[in-house]
Amino acid sequence: MSDLAAGQVTHVVHVAQDAFRVLVVDDDPDMAGFLARLLTQQGMQAEIAADGNAALATIAAAAPDLVLLDVQMPGPSGFDICRRLKANEATALLPVVLITALEDQESRVRGIEAGADDFLSKPVRREELLARVKTLRRLHETRKELEGRRLAAEIRHKEEIRKAFTRYISPRLAERILNESRASEDVFRNLSDRAAVVVLFADLRGFTRLSETVPVSRIVPMLNEFFTVLTAAAHENEGTVISMAGDSLLVGFNVPVPQPDATSRAVETGRAMIQRFAPVAARWQAEYGLETGIGVGIESGEVVVGNVGAPSFMSYTIIGDPVNVAARLMQKAAANEILIGPVASLSLPARSLPLERREVALKGKAEPVAVVSLTVAPA
Amino acid sequence: MSEPITQAITVVVAKDLEDLIPTFMKNRAKELETLRAAVAAGDLEQLRQLGHRMKGVGNSYGFEKVSLLGKRIEDGAKSGDRAGLDACVAEYTDYLARVSVVYE
Repeated sequence: MSDLAAGQVTHVVHVAQDAFRVLVVDDDPDMAGFLARLLTQQGMQAEIAADGNAALATIAAAAPDLVLLDVQMPGPSGFDICRRLKANEATALLPVVLITALEDQESRVRGIEAGADDFLSKPVRREELLARVKTLRRLHETRKELEGRRLAAEIRHKEEIRKAFTRYISPRLAERILNESRASEDVFRNLSDRAAVVVLFADLRGFTRLSETVPVSRIVPMLNEFFTVLTAAAHENEGTVISMAGDSLLVGFNVPVPQPDATSRAVETGRAMIQRFAPVAARWQAEYGLETGIGVGIESGEVVVGNVGAPSFMSYTIIGDPVNVAARLMQKAAANEILIGPVASLSLPARSLPLERREVALKGKAEPVAVVSLTVAPA
Repeated sequence: MSEPITQAITVVVAKDLEDLIPTFMKNRAKELETLRAAVAAGDLEQLRQLGHRMKGVGNSYGFEKVSLLGKRIEDGAKSGDRAGLDACVAEYTDYLARVSVVYE
């Protein structure tokens, strides 16, 4: 059956670059050539595949806009091919016209079951072919336009989310969340939830004296420099910057995406903040004769995470006892010291750090709290 | 067949298919050889397939007789009508010998 001469008919006829592309799948080169000729005369681009496997390969390489598919072929039948195309998300919307014998009602029923969009009878009547292709072309173009609009809306939506989230998290982390679309859905679905979080508070030691000494016009640029350094350290370790108030910064870990090494990240962030700030502190001392440094408090535990506020001003925030403990540890910490609370210290990294254990009295706590102190040399 | 053996059978084919016809006719000649071999071998499945193909392609190009013979061959193969199949092959032989094409 396959020894018939293909003659000129297997050539792909290229028309305009954006021409409507039809894949003709038929093992009979005369029939395939006939169909291709009628289509190209209408300004379409026709390609021919001589069997089902060749058709699948062609579609996988570059999906056409329409498939004309013979039913009886060597290898996978037209029904098989149609079923596979319709079962695949990438090709489910690709219109498929099954070519069956005129009187073959059984094939039509099987074709409908396989998901065929339309049927064409053999022998093929030119007017019928062109009318069916025209209808499906219009339908396909409408679908493509709708799909294009849907994609554009999705891109706009993601961009809005990206902009909103890069206020809190590192651009790299925001990009990762948005690229994993299922993860991003989860993140935004769980915007109000209870979560186990590692909380880091950092503030500027010596700020009160600084604000009394330095001209007011210099305070804001200096604070901006301070927060820029701290935010960079937080983003470097994929922390989520939750809020800035006065001279303090609140950073969360394990939120909004899980971070199994959240405590390590928090400690590393504290160290990076102190070390990155050291040259700034040295410069400020040289200019204004003021000692400054950074105090850090870290604690972990369950908090409420969510967008809190009024409709006109929402803020992504975390609320709970670990936040209070971390804030008070920060107040207790000396310049260039990280104080780690009792819960967070249980999951400190195993590697040796110059840690010191001690107890501190915290406001609101009846008993002294066992904490771990890490003093960072401002390299 | 009622036509005298010497009488040509004229088929009118659309002008825009003219360049496809030489290959089409060559393929019909090959098809006839394959039909003969299948009849000799008693290969009814191949005859059914060949008949089915002839039925689809013939009239698409304007060769109504090819489609009619194709249907008879397909049906004959399904029912095992060997005498009928022999007759169809003879008729196809005669048809291909006499057919001539004009383009409009």
